[in-house]
Amino acid sequence: MTSTKFDISSRVGGLELRSPVIIASGVWPYERELWSPLRLEGVGAVCTKAVSLNLRAGNRGTRVWETPCGMLNSIGLQNGGVHEFLREGMPVARSSGLPFLVNLVMEAEKDVRETIAALKDAPFEIPALELNISCPNVDGDGMDWGVSPKSAARAVAIVRREWKGPLWVKLTPQAPDLPAVARAAEAEGADALVCANTWLGMAMDIKKKRPAFRRVVAGLSGPAVFPLALRAVWQVCGAVSIPVVGCGGVAGWEDAAAMILAGASAVESGSALFADFNLPRKIASGLAAYGAEQGAASIKDLVGLGRDGRA
Amino acid sequence: MAPKDFRAELVENRKLDDGTFLMSLRCPEIARAAEPGQFVLLRPGAGNDPFLGRPLAVAAVDGDVFTVLLRVTGRGTEMLASRREGDFITVRGPSGRGFWSSREGEPLPGKIILAGGSVGAAPLIFAAGRLGSAVTAAAFGFAGRGWEGTAKLAEELVSGAGLFSDDGAFGRKGTVLAGLPDELPHDTEIWACGPVGMLRALAAKYPGSGSRVRVSLEARMACGAGGCLGCVIPLVTGNARVCADGPVFKAGEVKWDDLDQI
Repeated sequence: MTSTKFDISSRVGGLELRSPVIIASGVWPYERELWSPLRLEGVGAVCTKAVSLNLRAGNRGTRVWETPCGMLNSIGLQNGGVHEFLREGMPVARSSGLPFLVNLVMEAEKDVRETIAALKDAPFEIPALELNISCPNVDGDGMDWGVSPKSAARAVAIVRREWKGPLWVKLTPQAPDLPAVARAAEAEGADALVCANTWLGMAMDIKKKRPAFRRVVAGLSGPAVFPLALRAVWQVCGAVSIPVVGCGGVAGWEDAAAMILAGASAVESGSALFADFNLPRKIASGLAAYGAEQGAASIKDLVGLGRDGRA
Repeated sequence: MAPKDFRAELVENRKLDDGTFLMSLRCPEIARAAEPGQFVLLRPGAGNDPFLGRPLAVAAVDGDVFTVLLRVTGRGTEMLASRREGDFITVRGPSGRGFWSSREGEPLPGKIILAGGSVGAAPLIFAAGRLGSAVTAAAFGFAGRGWEGTAKLAEELVSGAGLFSDDGAFGRKGTVLAGLPDELPHDTEIWACGPVGMLRALAAKYPGSGSRVRVSLEARMACGAGGCLGCVIPLVTGNARVCADGPVFKAGEVKWDDLDQI
């Protein structure tokens, strides 16, 4: 029975999403043509590439390495800094008409406050921030903030003081106690949690007889990590009451449905778009058909349904 | 146009040598839009493993069909090589800025020399067809034994091309650099594609003429559309994406000593 009309739009963490499929940070370039309505069919929102206060050149040497059903990356937050983003990236991001989230690199307090001040001064309103306390490919920033509840709380508190708009926090699966980090971010005022960033891995270049990446370690993503990410989503959804956005290996509508049944309000998809630009449209239509088949009216009816009352 | 994903029918898969294949795919959108120097990403299979597309330069277009030169270097390229005529392959493209669009309006020089190494011959074969008599010389270098079929194809498609082989199995013994002039005349450019060692040597051969030596580079990449920043290389002006800012660059712009990722 697929005659029921299923509504895939919802409001998540302060954003109106026409679809629960969000393009994860680090994926979508600022080539204007790629932000046209046709290219973003099925997309509910887009997370920008990471934005820091100043230019970051990113990591040297090999940056990507294919793995079974996935890939490792060690990009290192390359970006031109917040002022270049406001000048060049933001006009392109706005051109789609979709909500976008500025992926904000958690840096030293003074720096991140200055970045937020610049974003608040932008000629147009930034719809939301996605605070990055989870990038595994830099030293000192990113993931170093997100591994412990105490430092995560501090990061969220710093940003929350400066930023009154929607604030999503992207968690790292390297946190030994992820539910505790999630609760800490919620307590400090996060509007939604993104669960999660890439998984720390490495590759050995057996021809060169040395690690493939200069930093040795790199972030694993793609369908290979999906069961890990789903487990993390389940745990975090059981720990907090703010919306959770599932992220990690989502490569089809079935993955998105599984995340939503586990309690996610929406999903982010990243690496899978490297393999298939049309994935958001396929996930959105697959979810719509699935929801209708289940006799549900909207995404909200499916969120957490698979928990069957379990915390 | 920014690259798009298509399903393309494999209309010919011709073995040129052990491990080298000439693959022709029907995809009107790519065949009509592609220029020499641009590339496509072919996905080896239908599932998630292997996960990423393999970047391959376009070697020719004919109506609705485009052609690539494939060298088997691992599992993914081996899977592609085993695909049969009539199979459908997921392809993304056309990607990057080729020998024309990378000029950003700068007029073509009067004379162009083509220099290709290994399967790097592909975009130059494509360029030769468009340039006609502007190509004053062409040189293609190969390892030698085991590359005869590929070398013969390059020789057939680019009239007057000289062949070089490292082991002397065919053509002149030596590298492609031996086929190039000692001085580069002011009205002449060299367009080159091949292994990074060859391109680095080429850049070193003409230290004062870096803007007249145009090289097409390769790099490990994920998206092929400028998004992931996985294929970034160092230029004297800062980082550049091989997939979207390149793959064609002026040799004088590239920081060759820092280019260790490929």
